[in-house]
This record gives sequence, structure tokens and C-alpha cells, in this order.
Amino acid sequence: MAMLEIRDLNKYFGGLAAIKDLNLDVFNSEIVGLIGPNGAGKTTFFNVITGVYPPTLGSVLFMNQDITGLKTYKIAQFKIARNFQDSILFMKLSVLDNVVAGFHGNYKKAEWKSFMYIPSARKEERAAKRKALEILEFMGLASLKDELAANLPHGHQRILGICIALATNPKLLLLDEPATGMNPEETSNLIMLVKRIRDNGITIILVEHDMQAVMNLCNRIVVLNYGRKIAEGLPDEITKNEEVIEAYLGREEDYF
Amino acid sequence: MLLKYKINSPLKRLIGLLSLGVILISLPFLIRSPYYLHLVIMACINIVLAMTFSLMFSAGLITLGAAAFWAIGAYASTVLVMNLGISFWLALPFAGMIAGIFAFAFGLIIVRTPGFIFVMETFVINMMVVHAFGHITQLGGWGGICGIPRPGAITIPFIYQITFATKIPYYYLILLILLMTVIVFYALHSSRIGTAWRSIKLNPGLAQTLGINLFRYRVMVFTIASAFAGLTGSFYAHYYETIEPETFIIFKSLYIQIYGILGGLNFYILGPTIGASIMTFAPEFLRITQEYEPIYTGSMLILLAIILPGGILSIPERISALSRQNKVKKVKQ
Repeated sequence: MAMLEIRDLNKYFGGLAAIKDLNLDVFNSEIVGLIGPNGAGKTTFFNVITGVYPPTLGSVLFMNQDITGLKTYKIAQFKIARNFQDSILFMKLSVLDNVVAGFHGNYKKAEWKSFMYIPSARKEERAAKRKALEILEFMGLASLKDELAANLPHGHQRILGICIALATNPKLLLLDEPATGMNPEETSNLIMLVKRIRDNGITIILVEHDMQAVMNLCNRIVVLNYGRKIAEGLPDEITKNEEVIEAYLGREEDYF
Repeated sequence: MLLKYKINSPLKRLIGLLSLGVILISLPFLIRSPYYLHLVIMACINIVLAMTFSLMFSAGLITLGAAAFWAIGAYASTVLVMNLGISFWLALPFAGMIAGIFAFAFGLIIVRTPGFIFVMETFVINMMVVHAFGHITQLGGWGGICGIPRPGAITIPFIYQITFATKIPYYYLILLILLMTVIVFYALHSSRIGTAWRSIKLNPGLAQTLGINLFRYRVMVFTIASAFAGLTGSFYAHYYETIEPETFIIFKSLYIQIYGILGGLNFYILGPTIGASIMTFAPEFLRITQEYEPIYTGSMLILLAIILPGGILSIPERISALSRQNKVKKVKQ
């Protein structure tokens, strides 16, 4: 049984089909790559899954539960997390506070207990701070923990975005172009980190243009073009697929 | 930011608090004039109202309707005591709750559209409430209600009976209410609820992906803030012994916002305290007559916007930023 089942997903914006007749399964503990030219519908796909807008048609099942069209905060309760292409952070907070904010859904003690200064609740919050620090160490940002998020260089901001997503303790992590704007060294580092995240039991859907990252990380690759799935398979198969090559070479950029 | 200027040594903190406590407790006996004591009492009321504004602001909501819930509390308490014969001491919390319930009901409708629309909707609520009280003759209409009874005497067994014959017991009562508000609001701001509010304020989209239910937290902050405004309304009604719709017009809500801006919107407790105090006392000490008071306030607001948008409490930070700039210039030379 798949962790995530997408059935006949369609998303239209007016007359424009951003996603058309998409069927996809994502299984536990795998890293699925989602690639395709710009505008192929990859970010729309993420947005539909995470409830930014509902699909026009089709269904999304997560762990056998129908999450189609649910609001974003409800879907977060199902432990699906994502990062964003433009670094979406709490700019005025410190790096550490950013990650701590991510723990919101993970507290076991009731909220009013926190207000009443009940020790067990406040203890949980201190533990959350420690866990946040662990995540920062895991991702290599610990030395910057008190720095204002707005002051971080771009690459670090993207990693911070991933840290915040990790703080929610997700089962499924949607990574939206995490390697954009990174030099080869940073990309290698990112690849290692993503592998580690998967090794910690988190299933990942990775949207990326950087082929080094995609080839290194993904168990399977799904290719979208103009909102449709045009290929799905092992990395080696995909690089040889004629339709895929044409989709990319038909555009200005040369990714291979 | 709650108490950004933290005094780290616990001993210093204790001494500071104790000194402050001594001053506050002995204040009525240091200020001989009932008129100035009246100003202090009004300042306390304004501080609480300003804090309710800051509470909502910490969640990203700007309200121009604080005076409306102040009004609802005042009128509710008056009706409870004068028409239903309930003791003031029961009417006080009830008035707060009634104001909170109204805010809850309004909130369910207007909180879905945060931002500018929300501000306008609170503006409209304020106008509606004032006009409602003005047109309902049973509530005194535009002339208002006078002769509102004072709080009943408190009897401390075997020791003393506190009657509200002078301003002094009123002062201690509002001081108590102010203290309680500070404690409750500080607890809220420093708890997970406060963190959720600030997340919503900084980045609602991101907050949602972290599981924060924007609607719920926004309704919550609106309800709590308005309930405390209503509580102060009850005090005000039985202190002033008169209430009229004119007191609660939109200008008051605007002033409440200015109390917050003047002090510093990033400081949720100290900011309102400083801003409300200054604006309550300054017109007196500057000998500004009531007609010209809006000119003073307006000019001050414009100056603030140009020179000091962060309010008074942002001055230390601006100074240190300037000195850092100067150091850089010196190094360059």
C-alpha cells in the first residue's frame, strides 16, 4: 500500500490545465524525484497536496485517508511538510526561533497549560528548543542559531526552510527545488543531508532541476510536462527516454 | 518582544520590583490632589486598553474597535447593577465576559478577512456600537446614563471596611486590574499561544503549513483582548458614575492605537504603558486645552511616523545602530 496515492488529479486555473490526469503512488521511505521543465506543474502539485488550493478533480490519499482539498493547517496535522522555493521564513526571528516555531503541532500537553505556566507544559517547550538545536546541528546551521533569519545568505535560508519543515516531525517531506542557487559544494552537502533525512525514516518527494542531486538521491523519477506525467521509472531509464529528452531540449535550457 | 530590556540579575529585579511596588502603593498619599489622582486612574485605564490593542497586534490584527468593547463592558455593567440589582463585584467580570462574547460573535465573521478589511470592519463595529447605544432610549440614548452607583463596600472581617467614597480605593482597584492584565497578557505572550500569534503575524502562510489554525487563533486574540477592554469599561462606568456614547467614539479607538504606536508597537507590555501614560499626562503638563488637543496629538503622530516609527522604546536601539554606523565610518577613514 502506498503512503501517498494520487488518483486522476486535475487542477485547472480558468481554462489552463496546470495538472492533467495525474496518477502517482509514493511508497514509504523512498525518495521520488519530480522533474520537468519550468511551468510543468511541479509546484502546483505540491500546492494541491498541501491544501494551498483544492484540486479541480481527483483525489489525494495519504496513509489511506482522504486529504483532498483539506485546509493547509489540517494537512500539516497529517505530518506532511514542505519547504518553499522562495525562502519562506519568519524573517524577524532568529534561526533557532524559526525552527522552534515549527514544533507547534508536536506538543502533547494542552495549550492552556502553557499559558498557566504548568511545569510539564513549559518543560515540553524547553525540550522543543533542544530538539530544534539538534535539527540545526543535523543540518549544519547550529553555529548561526541566534542570527536573524533575514541576515542569512540565501543558501542558508533555504536550508533553514528545510529545518523548519523537519521540526514538524513529518512522515512525508516535499522538497521544492532546495538546491537552487547553490554551488557544487553546497549541492553535495545538500545531497548528503537529504540522504540522512531519508535514513531517519522520512519519505521525500524532491522537485529539482539539478540533475546531480536528482540522480544521486532518487529511487524513482517522475517527469511532468505541461501538467501531464510523460515518464516514470528508474533514473537510468529516464535519462534515455526520448520524450523526456525532447521535453527538455525543446526548451531554451539544456539540463543534460 | 515583551521585556526586551531585561535586567539580568535576579536581585536587581527583585529590588526594582519592590521599589516600584512601594511607589505604586503609596502613590495616592504622595499625590495630594484628587485631580492628579484622577489622571493616574485614567492613565491606568488607557494602559489596559492600549495593551489590548497590542495583544491583537501581536497576532497581526490591527483593531480600530477597542473603544466599542470598552463601551459594551461599561453599558453591560451599568445595566447589570442598576436594572438587575447585581453587585458591582459580580458585574465586573460579567461585563468582561459579555464584551468577550460580542467580540467572539463579531470575530467569527470578520476574522476571515485579515489585513485592511479587518481594520475597516472594526471601525464599522465601533460606529455601530456607538450609534446603537445612542439610539436605544432605554440605555439613555445620546444623553447617556448618570447616577451609576459606586462599587459596594468591601468588608475585610475584623479589620476594616473599604468604601468607595474617595478616589483612593478606585485607584487601588484599577491598579489591581492593571496588574492582573499585565500578568495574564505576559503569560499569554510567553506561552505557545503567543508564539502561534507571532508566527501568524510574521508569516501567515508559513504558520499554516506548521499546523497553526489561523482562524482559531485570530478569534481567540480578538475575544480575549475585547474581554479585558470590557472589564475596564465596567470599572470606568462605576468610577465616572456617568457614561455616554460620545466617550466611546472612533476617536478613542484611534487614540488607543496611538498609545501603542507612541510607546513602541514591538513592545507588547512596556510600549502601551509608556505610550498611554505620556498621552494621558502630557496634555495636562503642556497646558493644552481640550479643543486644541487633537492638533497636538496629530502633530505628534506625524513626527513619530517620520522620525521614530518604532516608538519611544526604539530609541536605545536606534542610538546603538547609529553608533555602530559611526564606528564603521571611523574605521573607513
